[in-house]
Amino acid sequence: MEFDWMKIPYALLTLFIVVNYGFLLNALIQKIAARVGRRHGIPIWQNYVDILKNYGLRSSITHGAMFYLGPVFRLSGGVGLLLFVPAIYGSYMFSNLSFAGDLILALYFIFFGTLGMALGAGESGHPYAAIGVSRGLSQVTTSELPLALAVFSVALQYQTLSVTEIVAAQQGGILNWTLFTNPVAVAAAMLSFLGSMMRPPFDVVLAPQEIPIGPPTEYHSSYLALMQTNRALFPVAKIVIYMNLFFGGASDWPTFFLKVFLIYLWSAFVGVVFPRFRVEQSIRWFLIWAVPLGILSIILV
Amino acid sequence: MIYIAMATGFLLILIGFYGALTNRNLLRMIVAFSIADTGVNLVIISVGYLPGRTAPILDTTVTAAAAATRIIDPVPQALVLTAIVIGVGITALMLAYALKLYEKKRTLDIAKFTELKW
Amino acid sequence: MVSAIYILIAALGAAFFLGFLKDGMRATAFAVTLAALVFMNFVSAGWLWSFAVDAAAPVEILTAGFSPPFAINLRMGLTEASLTLLVSLSGLLSALYLKDVLLALGRRSMAVLLIAVMALCGIILTRDTFNLFVFFELASIATAGLVLLSEDERALSAGFKYMIVAQAISVFLLIGIIFSYHATGTLNIDGMADASTELKTGASIAFFLMFIAVVAELKPFPANGWALDIYESAHPAFSAIFSAASGAAFLYAADKLLHIGGAAWFPLATGIGIITFVAANLLALPQSNDRRLLGYSSIAQTGLVLAVLGQQDILGDRYLFVAGGLLLAHSIAKAGLYWLSGLIAGRALPDWAALRSRPLLIFAFIVFIAMLSGLPPFPGFYAKWELARLLAGDGRIALLALILFGALLEAGYLFRWFGYILKREQPAQPVVCTPHKLAPVIAAVAAGWALGYLWGDLSGHANLLLTVPLLFALSFLLLEWLPAWIKNTLAIAGMLAFFVLTYAEYDPLRLIFAVIILIGGPVIFLASYHEHGRRLGFYPAAMLMFAGLALLIRTGDSFGFFAAWELLTVGSYFLILRGKHSEPHALSYIVFSLGGAFLILAGFALAAQGAAQYDLASLGLLTQPLAPWVFMLLAIGFMTKTAAIGLHIWLPGAHGEAETDVSPMVSGILLKAGLFGLFVLLMSMGKQQLYGIELTHVLLWIGALSALLGNLMAIFEEDAKRLLAYSSIGQMGYAVFGLALMNHLGWLMALMFVINHYIYKSMLFLSAGGVAKRTGTRDMYRMGGLITLMPLSFIATLIGIIAVSGVPPLSGFGGRWIFYNAILTSDARLPMVVLFFAGPIAFLYLFRLIHTVFLGQLKDEHRKLKEAPFWIILPQMIFVVLLLVFAVVPGLALRRVDIYLNQFFPEGGLNWAGTTISSNYGYWNPVAIMIAVAVIFGSLFAWLLFVNRKAQKVKQFNIVFAGERPYRPETTHFAWNFFAPYRKALGFMVQPFVTRFWEGLTNLLHVAADLSRRLYNGNGQSYAFHFIAFVVVVHFLWTGV
Repeated sequence: MEFDWMKIPYALLTLFIVVNYGFLLNALIQKIAARVGRRHGIPIWQNYVDILKNYGLRSSITHGAMFYLGPVFRLSGGVGLLLFVPAIYGSYMFSNLSFAGDLILALYFIFFGTLGMALGAGESGHPYAAIGVSRGLSQVTTSELPLALAVFSVALQYQTLSVTEIVAAQQGGILNWTLFTNPVAVAAAMLSFLGSMMRPPFDVVLAPQEIPIGPPTEYHSSYLALMQTNRALFPVAKIVIYMNLFFGGASDWPTFFLKVFLIYLWSAFVGVVFPRFRVEQSIRWFLIWAVPLGILSIILV
Repeated sequence: MIYIAMATGFLLILIGFYGALTNRNLLRMIVAFSIADTGVNLVIISVGYLPGRTAPILDTTVTAAAAATRIIDPVPQALVLTAIVIGVGITALMLAYALKLYEKKRTLDIAKFTELKW
Repeated sequence: MVSAIYILIAALGAAFFLGFLKDGMRATAFAVTLAALVFMNFVSAGWLWSFAVDAAAPVEILTAGFSPPFAINLRMGLTEASLTLLVSLSGLLSALYLKDVLLALGRRSMAVLLIAVMALCGIILTRDTFNLFVFFELASIATAGLVLLSEDERALSAGFKYMIVAQAISVFLLIGIIFSYHATGTLNIDGMADASTELKTGASIAFFLMFIAVVAELKPFPANGWALDIYESAHPAFSAIFSAASGAAFLYAADKLLHIGGAAWFPLATGIGIITFVAANLLALPQSNDRRLLGYSSIAQTGLVLAVLGQQDILGDRYLFVAGGLLLAHSIAKAGLYWLSGLIAGRALPDWAALRSRPLLIFAFIVFIAMLSGLPPFPGFYAKWELARLLAGDGRIALLALILFGALLEAGYLFRWFGYILKREQPAQPVVCTPHKLAPVIAAVAAGWALGYLWGDLSGHANLLLTVPLLFALSFLLLEWLPAWIKNTLAIAGMLAFFVLTYAEYDPLRLIFAVIILIGGPVIFLASYHEHGRRLGFYPAAMLMFAGLALLIRTGDSFGFFAAWELLTVGSYFLILRGKHSEPHALSYIVFSLGGAFLILAGFALAAQGAAQYDLASLGLLTQPLAPWVFMLLAIGFMTKTAAIGLHIWLPGAHGEAETDVSPMVSGILLKAGLFGLFVLLMSMGKQQLYGIELTHVLLWIGALSALLGNLMAIFEEDAKRLLAYSSIGQMGYAVFGLALMNHLGWLMALMFVINHYIYKSMLFLSAGGVAKRTGTRDMYRMGGLITLMPLSFIATLIGIIAVSGVPPLSGFGGRWIFYNAILTSDARLPMVVLFFAGPIAFLYLFRLIHTVFLGQLKDEHRKLKEAPFWIILPQMIFVVLLLVFAVVPGLALRRVDIYLNQFFPEGGLNWAGTTISSNYGYWNPVAIMIAVAVIFGSLFAWLLFVNRKAQKVKQFNIVFAGERPYRPETTHFAWNFFAPYRKALGFMVQPFVTRFWEGLTNLLHVAADLSRRLYNGNGQSYAFHFIAFVVVVHFLWTGV
């Protein structure tokens, strides 16, 4: 197989753009949420400060090999997810590694980071980490289900699993977007989206604000830096999939930034309005409200 | 006449069965079976009987040549003989059993010998 | 040739002669008795030889110088010769067995024994009804006499009860005979058969009485309380005669009467027989006394043969083959079991655990219960097959169903008993084993195998005892004295050699299965090197299973398939039973498996429509309305092995409790037998509709629900191996789903699951087993933090769970990718929703598995543990490599199959251009994915190493913990009930409804049986009443019909 080595710098460029955008976007969203709560919020460059601080920390411990590898898995998952999906429609430069596999690859690769992260957290021996993993895995089984159904619906609709072809089919006007051609599927997917963004009401996994809990409990310094990078990268990568599948993709960077921001805003919007669910409540919520929509979408298509 | 004999035979059998099923005493049961046996024998005889003929014994009055027309069917008679012998044997064996059972439990009540069940 | 009458003369003469001996000369008397019995055997055997080998014509033996009807005549033919041999041989062996008792009681008891055998031979030989009556009475008198041989005092009352009933029977018999004589003018059986059309009408009361009297001697339900009491209390050697010889003789008497009565009476025989068969087997379920249990089984088997006697109209020239096979298997096995019971001190079933000190006797027991259950390669198996074929061919489905149901019940209690033997506490009293008691048992075992060979020869199919895999497996019985590692090497070499010799013969699909069985098997066998000592019983069982598997994929006809299926079932049962706490699980495994096997048998029998040879390929030629039923029977049968939901309850225990190296065999390899069956079924039959319902659609639902519920049950499991077992249910659900999709990619996906599941489940089971070996527990929450102590096991588990979960870049992803492509072409969308839900749930239990065992807090008692043993690690490492290879180049295995599948589904195959695999919908490049992931991961890892190079390893409890310093791993390791919230939300879905259903069903059967058997209240009078009521009720039912 011929491999175009130029793809590597191109991919790194994509990575660079998305990471920076992700840092800013995360801070922006957090600021918006704070303003809704009548707080001032963090400065927009806060994430850069944090990451520098994390790399700069001198204390550095490890609980073992798997603990060490956890953040690597996590970030590899984010990077892989981003690179396996074409970022900009019609651009060879930003098609990245999408030749390696189709939509299914991307969907399953989401779990690569999650699994590795969970394993690393597990080795720390901290019960809070394990509890967080338990909650997260429990929630993800039902929160991902509507998305899977919606994706299947879309694949049926366009008779392809190739992301590029799905985006291609949505070109030529806003009404060609899946949002309008298959609204039920998009509704299901957007409900599922809430579950994967670690925002209220589905953020019990990390439970920010209170005692440190969740997989990152024991992580610090450069581990945390890696994870923080992923926290900037991963939502964007995931939103890219949503954007490509449901909102017509993006054929240039400005469209890309706008669409990603708007989709992200949706989860922030819901998050500031609703209080937090317990795990079993969110499981039931997805099964009752989101999954039927997903089922409807694959029946209707 | 034949039918009376046959009916009597069946009646004896029924009496025998009734007796065997209603009497709990071992000896009475054995007696009842003897009655039934007798009834069976009577039935057998009555089946083989032909009116106006003589016993199936070949002697000077009944020659072998004329036997086919003069004697009754000899087979049931032979059967009865055998059946009687066997009946005696079985009765004896049952009595021996009854004796042993009595020795063991000092009772002849069949309902007391129910250690083996289910 | 010695005239057959000398059989009778010898016995009578010897009995008379014994009377002349002085009471002190007991040894002489015993010698005379044995000599007479040997002579009788010799005569019978001589005749049998001349009939069987020289094909001589049957001989009439006239008595008193007249020919019938003027005198009694005897007949010696093939049947008579075999039966007299059976009777006199069981007499001889029992006499030998009774040596001590006979010597103690003296010549009279010997005379009675001789008379008993003589009377039974007389019943077989005579052709005269009245003579039959005489021998009947002789037999009853002798029986009543021999019952007293027992040391059990209760035998006395049993004998009397028998006499009461025998009296009533003789009354009916005599009346019947005399009126039949009246109607026909003859007492001769053949004469009656020729003379009377009246007796043949079915309304003849004379014949009815005669027939019912003979049938009553066959202990029909419910008029059989007396027989049970005799079986329970009599000396086991006599019970052996009573069961084996008397049963055979009386059955032949019934056959003679049916010869008189003709076809009109066949249904009566069948009806009584089948009711007895089912009822006796049912009532045996709650039985706890061994001899009484055998009595019930004996009655049942006699009933079965009686039912077969009533089927002679359709059995045709296979009549003797079927009836003989069943009868001989029953007689030999039952005699053998009774003889065995004499060696056991206690009467409760668990007391038979005493046999454990004698492996030879355990083997004998296995042979006997296999014969009774109709398992290959014994005669009952061939007979059962023929019977099913002919019954189904004639549309007698209800009868077939009842027979199979009864047989399942019987197998259930027999195998439960076997479980007791291997697993219950050994009683204090050892097995009393003298040579003269051992000899009959050994003789019975030998006879069983010999007949197995003979019946195989006569079957018209391939003789199973001549097939190479089975012979290879059986040869391990002779090698049991060797140390385990030699046997292990032989096993591995044998399987590999067989593969090398045969691999050219498989089509690509079968080749995959062949590789898994014959190459994959040996890989797992590497782990068996870990076991030391001789490991008695392991290799014959394991090789039997593999022999069955090898035969299964090689056979082309339904008979071979079914035989292989039963072989692998039995072999795996023995394997599973070896686990320490496997008893109940092995039992439910064998019951489900045999139930499934019977469905398969019924399915094949229905499909064959009476044809003697039926190729699997012909299944495709079936048409409505038969085809869907065949499809359903076979599919359910196969799904008992894949543990589809509803039929799955045996699996977790069976796989979880099995030994370390057995679990991967039965999970990784054995489960594939069911999938192979489904492959074969769907390949030939395709889609079928029943009442407008698409059956493959039903399969889709079953597969999807199995996947969901299997996964759900796995996440709530605390036991590592059981968790893996539940996960197998889920994985098999995926495979069934793939098959049921009925398209190209669906099948490819199923095959992908076949390969993947073999690799990762074997690996995970070995890993979990190795860890359990070191920690001494399988409860995951008792472990934790083992990663540093057992790194290789951890790596195997890690690779395993990544593969199972389907995360790229490992091979599980390939399965998922094909799955998505496959469902895109299918119309059935709702079951997919279920499957979508099932997918992520796998993460839960997989994470739990690796986290609670290897991560988290190390327990104090485990601090000094070592890595799992080398031989258990070695195959895991091989699997890791295999998994990686298969992940990168799946085409190695799949490409040829993909092309092969084109003949079934020309559409929708995959394109294999370069390293990219593409379908009509998407594409996937395993090599690129692997490289990309490796590069990304490697670079980031390098980066972390660089920035974090000074990281310090800290101690276990050096963690950020609110306000306190943890010091107890037990309280810090978050492991038990790991997914508590999930249980709160979805626990209702894993309520054990299915378990409760099956438990309820078995309880219902047990309770019903326990209540019904109170009918036998032990009162002789009640028994007499039962008999008379039986006659009356049967008569009314019969004439009313």
